[in-house]
Formats: sequence, structure tokens, C-alpha cells
Amino acid sequence: MSEKEKKEMVGYRQQPGKIPFSRPGSGGKSPFSEPRDEEMIPESQGGKKNQPWGGHRHDKLITGRVVGKSTSLVDSKWKVTGRAKYGDDIRLPNELIGKIVRSPHHYARVLSIDLSKALDLPGVISIATGDDAKNKFGVLPVTKDEHAMAVDRVRHIGDLVACVAAEDEGTALEAVRLINVEYEILESIHDMKDGLNDSEKPIHDRGEYHIGEANVQKRVFQEFGNIDSMQENAIASHKNNWFFNGVNHAATEPHAVVADWDPSGRLTLYTPQQVPHYVHRALADVLEIPMHQINVHRTFVGGGFGGKSDPFPHEMCASILARKSGRPVRITFDREEVYWINRGRHPSHIEMNLHADEKGRLCGIETDALIDGGAFASFGHVTTYYNGVLHTAPYEIGAFHYTGARVWTNKPASGAMRGHGAVNSRCAVEVGIDDLSEQLQVDPISFRLANLLPPNSATITGFRVTSIGMRECLERVMEESDWKNKFRKMPLGHGIGIGCGFFISGSGLPIHWDPNKFPHATVHLKIDMDGGVTVHTGAADIGQGSDTVVAQSVAEVLGLPLDMIRIKSRETDTSPVDLGSYSSRVTFMNANAAISAAMKIREDLLNATSEITDSPIEKLVIGDRRIFRKDDPAVGVSYLEALHKAQEERGALVASGAYRTPPMGRAHKGAAAGLAPAYSFSAYVAEVKVDVETGQTKVEKVWAAHDCGKALNPLAVKGQIIGSCHMGMGQVLSEEMRYGRTGNLMNTDLLDYKIPSVHEMPEVTPIIVESNDPEGPFGAKEAGEGPLLPILPAVCNAVYDAIGVRSNELPITPDRLYKNIEKKCRKLKIDDPMDLPSPRLEYSELQEILEKRSQEHSIRDRDRRLKSDIKPYHNGALFGMDPTIPPDEVDESWKVTVIPSEEYLESPRLAGSAWLHTERRKRGE
Amino acid sequence: MSVIRLPMLPGSEKIPWKASINGKLISKPIESNAILLDVLRDQVGTLGVKRGCDMGTCGCCSVLIDGKPKLSCLVLAQEVSESEITTVEGLADGHHLHPIQEMFGEYGGSQCGFCTPGFLVVISALLEENPTPNDSEIKNAIEGNLCRCTGYQQIVDSVRAASELLNSGNTVSNSTEPKSNPNPGFDE
Ligand code: FES
Ligand code: FES
Repeated sequence: MSEKEKKEMVGYRQQPGKIPFSRPGSGGKSPFSEPRDEEMIPESQGGKKNQPWGGHRHDKLITGRVVGKSTSLVDSKWKVTGRAKYGDDIRLPNELIGKIVRSPHHYARVLSIDLSKALDLPGVISIATGDDAKNKFGVLPVTKDEHAMAVDRVRHIGDLVACVAAEDEGTALEAVRLINVEYEILESIHDMKDGLNDSEKPIHDRGEYHIGEANVQKRVFQEFGNIDSMQENAIASHKNNWFFNGVNHAATEPHAVVADWDPSGRLTLYTPQQVPHYVHRALADVLEIPMHQINVHRTFVGGGFGGKSDPFPHEMCASILARKSGRPVRITFDREEVYWINRGRHPSHIEMNLHADEKGRLCGIETDALIDGGAFASFGHVTTYYNGVLHTAPYEIGAFHYTGARVWTNKPASGAMRGHGAVNSRCAVEVGIDDLSEQLQVDPISFRLANLLPPNSATITGFRVTSIGMRECLERVMEESDWKNKFRKMPLGHGIGIGCGFFISGSGLPIHWDPNKFPHATVHLKIDMDGGVTVHTGAADIGQGSDTVVAQSVAEVLGLPLDMIRIKSRETDTSPVDLGSYSSRVTFMNANAAISAAMKIREDLLNATSEITDSPIEKLVIGDRRIFRKDDPAVGVSYLEALHKAQEERGALVASGAYRTPPMGRAHKGAAAGLAPAYSFSAYVAEVKVDVETGQTKVEKVWAAHDCGKALNPLAVKGQIIGSCHMGMGQVLSEEMRYGRTGNLMNTDLLDYKIPSVHEMPEVTPIIVESNDPEGPFGAKEAGEGPLLPILPAVCNAVYDAIGVRSNELPITPDRLYKNIEKKCRKLKIDDPMDLPSPRLEYSELQEILEKRSQEHSIRDRDRRLKSDIKPYHNGALFGMDPTIPPDEVDESWKVTVIPSEEYLESPRLAGSAWLHTERRKRGE
Repeated sequence: MSVIRLPMLPGSEKIPWKASINGKLISKPIESNAILLDVLRDQVGTLGVKRGCDMGTCGCCSVLIDGKPKLSCLVLAQEVSESEITTVEGLADGHHLHPIQEMFGEYGGSQCGFCTPGFLVVISALLEENPTPNDSEIKNAIEGNLCRCTGYQQIVDSVRAASELLNSGNTVSNSTEPKSNPNPGFDE
């Protein structure tokens, strides 16, 4: 220690002990302990942080260190220097290049594969076909329907038939060309409506569970509430038949994988995966080796958005080729192949019906969603539910009727994509509410504010809603966008619109449940003499910043700067099992697990400090790298001293923390789909300009309020909000997977698949609303997917406000919109679209009723948030039911049904007609 | 179905090639039809140059050729023989990051980071030419780069901040400087 440093240490009264040995390389950029940041310490702990929504169980853990402060991603330095290694950047010595033989046909039987010419090509090392791996896999255990390569049949253009490993890329491609496959072409299905009918050769065979002889992969029927009277009671009804085109994640990094069997016979798979654990399982199934013989190494992930969350056939191919050839194999997709593997948002036909009664209440929602799953199941089982159940909130509703069906067609498989299953039907609901409000002559924001579920309530399907910041979201965007002076008041071609969203923050049930009591997330901590904290987590950082959030949580609890935390989250060999980055579960579950691990270390440190300073534990607080007495901050020890004391006799401190969701939900079939430990809410206002003469829409501004519970890293939350706007804007205005007349996917590149460039992006004002979720880590909920939902309807509604024309097909490309403008002109007998009338609004007397109700509700909500002795609130109370009891328990006319009645089947809706088939096992054949 | 990438057929003719890459003279024989992106990734080893589309639509493969941003997936390597090529690996000065690299971290310009190298080289060229770009100049400069994560807004923020840092005369500190001391003094 230099003389100068020693002088500066005057006043450092570590009592009573001092670390006797000098600290190698000490000094550092911050040699002194900073005072605690009182602005970040909650009121409940004597700090200055306001808590309008009450305290939180993690309040006492706040050290004012990093949580809640904008923090750059802990791995950002790797990314900005080009040192971050993504899938294709893993280059192992002696590697081979793998390429895939893909089907040129939509649907065909593979009769024979002639490898002879390819095998003769110098430089070709190994070739594999479906015969090498016959076991099925799939992300959901109930619907395993994929093979590494075609066994018997190919099911879409681009489906895998064989794969080659060769010395270099040129040779591998040449070998692919030389492989001769003989096919018998089968009759393919492209229109999802055809998938509902019986067919000669369904794309998959589900055995006794097969639905009729059709291509229906999954069907759902749900009826809750006052179904019989919803139409009678309605004074306004909305009906729209939507078609949503499919969209792709278009992550900038194409999929890539490297497989390497090491000399001890273990496989390491390097892959940019969102969900390493499921690949781990699937590899074991397909390769027929135990899981412990496999190490899945998650590389940096160049964007996921759901597109890298299935176990993929090319991951199997690389492993098989590497096993056969005895050398590492790298397979990298070109952009076209990304579209063949797809897993994007389902093309969907959605019929949306909404009903409002004379009090301006939503007395019924009837949704029918037929979704196009493409050739494989993927996450489709869940998607089929999500299209319905995820619009049972944030509004209190009188009745909910949902029929959904997912069919197989001969297209690349659809799957999970940001906002999984909720995006399209949410758009339909929110546009419907805009239309209902217009019919009722009320402001659509007032309509929403008067129909919200309160905090700590249950939805009509029994989801447990804890924190809800919907009201604040709506109020904030209304104010910031100057809504009152703009809505229905702007000139032709200029419009403003509102849309809301509701999304799960983690899925209540793990995918692999037998049922089991395993945690959803586990985090391990290890601290040795150097004082740095090693965090082992399986959470997959895919750019959303999960490593950062986990590091922040640990740093916060232990009072450490972020540079003392190092995250190890790459390998299944060292990381505890985590279910992966999907369902917006990572922050909620992993940060909770990290906090509970850090609490154990915290306790060790406090005990040690108490022993050294002879102070009772309750008197101690943790500050910046220092633990001291609250009443006399001069009495305390440095972090390192406490650590070394705690390490006596036992060495490195280690701790494990885990998170598992509490028991929730009701008992009907499908009740678990959509259950989450918390939900996020959002409201966006979009301002657009529409050129009525060309149909071109430009989004100018977006005010985006999102309730994420608490922003652990506001920088990342804002990034997620703005990024979601980008992706949603693409879907609403320009992105679509275009299939030609004969079913060919026509735009398999980024030139024809139009994602917004910097010039198309509006100015987004992100507004963070913090509703302080009781179970979330420090109050946090998700911010990764929910923020995408509202942008679509907000833009649709703004287009209507601008020109009075509604669209029912997304994306609203200029040609589509122009056709609708022409139609409207013809209807109104107008020659020049410039003469179209702009929609205007004159309030009916209902407006006042709604405003009054929303004021009352606002008080109700505040009470339900702050008071501890609140009674249960079940959806239905707004309609006069007893809020404390589930309505179906007291009223027979309040339905809970998951099987369609005979009567319904006499004239089912589109997706509902999937129920006309009988499962094979019930046909008694 | 067509394969977009033209196979470099085995055995195509090799020609001598040399270029200064990030200040280091590299000379190696390459195939006459080799694409610069492939040479950089597969032979030179500058894996920071990313391949997002291989057809000039994403901008991930951007590099500077004699100071001008170019899409390396659209450049024949032999065309740029004898040139000076800068990739993302060449932006930092030892352990001192380029201001735009530092600010990308700080302002959220990078999420997944895959597009980042492309943006960084393009922006470094912009700042070289115009140290105080306004928003529309920034947007025009990055219009050829796609980012799927950030929605660009925080990228533009980062450029503004980098421009300020550049013009303030301050530099980014050496990243190997000692970090936080676990045994800090207590400043009363
Ligand atoms: S890889 Fe060159 S522009 Fe996309
Ligand atoms: S940060 Fe992911 S694509 Fe730009």
C-alpha cells in the first residue's frame, strides 16, 4: 500500500479486526466504499425511494447498488469488439463442413436415396440419412413428430432428406447435388381450411389420438360465463373475419451448429439455442445415449425471438455426421434455409366477435381461430390455446367462447414467435374494441378504463392476476400523446390509435412435467478468496440481457459492483438446468432463483460480520463492498473481511437457489395453458400518416407504456419496448411469408421479406410502468414479448382514425389498403379518395357513465393494491355476481365447458368444425 | 429449390492475394472466385465480420475498404487485393475501445450483438468523415444495416453519444485497468 493510499485510509475504522495481509493488485478504480444510494433504498427500509404501490418482500435486500439503474449488458464488450462467438464462429481444428439435402417437393414419399456418386467424390467424409436416426423428437413431449431426416416421407419443401460432411463447403455442396433421391409425389395441402377435412394421407398419424382422418393437430373448445345471454344483452356487436399472414423471426444470425465428439466419447454441441435443456433431452433420444454424455454449449445467440427454441433436425444431423466421421462438423444455414426451418408466427384465420351491453360492459367475446401449423407440431399445442385464453384479460368479461384448431399443412412449420399465440387474436380484440366504442359513441380509452380487472383477481378462465398496471399505462399514454386533442380530430390522412396487451411472465407449468416438483430455474453461486462471485445459471442470454439481470440481482443483494460478478451460463455441464428463454420467463424465474441463492451468501456474510464486530445481525446493513452497523456506519468490515471470516473452516462459499411457481389455476382441461405467476400489461398509442392516394402508411410516433412490474435494468426494458415496436411494425405493415398459388414460399430472403429499416422506424417514447409484482424479483415481471402485442392494433386503429377504412388482413401493405380505400369510395360514391370523410366522434350519454365507473374502479384498484385484508375478486363481479366466489359455483347459467354441445356442432364456426371429427380411439374401430 | 451460395467448386484456380487487414499485411493464395467475406472469415480469421444473408441485404458483413464501408459479401476478394481493410477487430486501439464501441454498450446499441460489427464499422466511417452528424445523417449512414433487436433508436442514441465523446477530446479508458477492490477503504 502506498503512503498516499494509507493516508486516504484514515478514518477507515474496521472494528475490531483488519485484514492482516496486503491485497495483491488492490487499488482499483474505486478504492473507497460509496455511501448507500438512498434514492434507491425503498421507503419501507428508511430510504427515499417512493413506493406508491406498497412494499415488497425483497425490499430489505436492496443495497442501492445496481437494480433499477440503466446498466449496459455485461457481455457488451465482447459484442462490440467482434470477440463474441456465435454459432458459425466456433471453428474447431480439423472441422468438416456439413450440408443438408432438402426436399424439392411439398409432400412426397422417399422411395430411394442413391449416395454412390456423392460417396465417390474426393473430400466427402460421411453421409447420413433418415435410416441413421429413427427416433422422433419435438419440443413438447406430447407431440414428438420430427425426425433428424426424412423417415419415409418429406412434408414440406426444404424438409431434410440427408446430410453430408466434407472437407470444405464446395465439396459438400457438390455432394449434395450428386445425391439422387427418388420420390413418389403425394397430394399436398396448402390451404389451412383443407386441413380440417378428412384426407387420404394425413401429414402425420397420431395413432388412436388422431382426429378423424383429418390434418387437425390440436383443437380447443372453451365456454365460460353467461354464454346464452351475451347476444341478447348486447346493444353493440362487432364481427370481423381476419387473415393474418405468417411472419418469420428474421433474426440476423442464421442458424448454425457445431458438433464435436471428444476422445472420451462425449458429445459437445455448440449451438445458438434459446432452450439448451430441450436440445439436451432431444439429442439423448435421437442419438440413444444418456444425457450425461452430452454437453450442450450455448454460443452467443444472434437473435432468437422464438426461432431458436425448438430442438432442430440440423442439430441432430451435425451430431450424427460428427459421430460417423470422427471429426467435428459445422453446419451453417444460408438465409433461405432459415425460412425452411421457420417456426414463425402462424398464418391465421381469426373470426372475432365482441358484444357490449347498455352499460358499456364487454358482455361477450367469441373467438374462432384456425391456425396453420405447417408440417410439424413444434409448440403448436400451446399456441392453439394461447390464441384464445390470452385475451381473457385485462378486461372483465361476461362470457368467453373460444374455438381453436391448428392444422398441419405442407409448409415449413410454424412455432413460437415473440408474443407466442397472443399477437394475432389480441390485434383482433383491440380493433374490435375500437369498433365497439365507435358504435357506442364513446372514447375507446374510456371504454377500456371502465372495464379493467382489478389487482389480485381471477380471470374468467381462472388465471390468477396479481399486479396490474393497465390503468396507469392507459392514463400515461393518453396524457403523453395528447390523445384528447387528437383522437377523431385530425385531418384526413392523419390518425391516432390505441391498443393494449396482456402477456404471461413465465409459464406456470414446465413443458416436461410428469408431474414433477423440479424447479423451473436454479442458480448456483460460488465465492472464493478473491471475492469475485461466479454465477452458474442455465438461463440462455439471447441478447435480451438475462446474464445482466442475473448479475444485477446478485450484485444488488451482496452490495457488489457488477465487475465483481462473472456469469457462467453457457454449458449444460456446469450450469444447473434451466427451462430456457421462452414464455418471457427468464427475468422472473432466474432473478428469483439468483436472489434466493444470494440471500444464503448474504446470511453467511452477515453472520461473519456480526461475529467480528460483535453486533446483532438486525443492526447490520450491506452497503458498497462493506457491511456495517446502521446506527454507526463507522463500525463495520469490508466485504472481503467478512468473506474471509465466513470462509474459515469451509473454504469457498457456495449456494444454490431455485424458483418454482406456486400452485395456481382451475381444474378444467387446458386450465394450465396460459397460467403464469404474473402477467405484464401494456398500452400503446400510435400516430400515423396515410397517403389516401397510394395506400402507403407511415407510423410517425409511438407512445409505448409497459407494465414490467419493476425495471431491473431500465436500459434493457426500453430496448425491449422499442425493439418490439420494430418487430410488430414489420408484421402490421410489411412482413409476410408469401406463398404462391402452388404453395411455394416466394420470399426466402431479406430483400423480399421486408423488415423495417431505420427509415421506417417511428420515434418511440418508451414509458415504464412499475406495478411492483408481489412475487417478482424486486417486483419485476416480463418485458420481452408483451410489448410487441399493442403495436399492431394501435397502428390498425390509427389507420382507421386517419382515413375511416378498416383492414382485416395483415400486413396492411399499400396495395391491400388501397383496395379497401377504393371499396370505401365506391360505397360512398366518392370519386377522389381525397374527399373521404375522416371519422369523427360525438359522445353519447354512455361516455359519462363510463368515466364515472372508471373513477370508482380506480379507487377500488388502489384499495385492492394497498390493503392487506382484501377479499377474492372473480371475473363476473362487474356483471353483478358475488366477487368472492367463482360464479359457476353459485349460478348454473355461468358455464365452464370444454366440450362442444350437439347444438353447437350443428353449425360450427370455421375452426370449431374440427370438432365434427371423432378421435380414432372413440370411434371404436 | 435453389441454393443461393455459388459453390466454390473444389479445385478452382488459386491466385496470390495480399491486403492490409487491420494494419497487418496478410498475403495468401485464394481461389480466384473467392468472396471477400469468405476469405475474411475462413482464411484470415476475422470472425467479427458476420454473415447474415450473403446477398447484400443485411449489412452484417460490412467492412471498410480503404476507409469506405462496403458489404464484403458482394466483393470479390481479388478486386480488393492491395487494399486496406478494416473490420470490427481493427476499431479499438489496443485496450482502448473506439468511442462508438464504448457507447454502444452504454446506450443499448447492441442487444444480441450480431448486427453490431456491421453497424460499428459503418458508423466509425461516418464519424471519421463527419464528427458531428445530425440524426438524419446518422440514419442515412446506417440505412443499409438491419437490426432485428434494437429498433435502431438506441443505436442512433449511441452514435450521438460517441460523437460527443469524440469531440470532447476524452478517450475511453484502458479496459485492463484494475477494477473494483473487494476490500475498499471507508471514506467518512
Ligand atoms: S451478409 Fe453481406 S449484406 Fe448480409
Ligand atoms: S442487436 Fe440483434 S440484430 Fe441488432
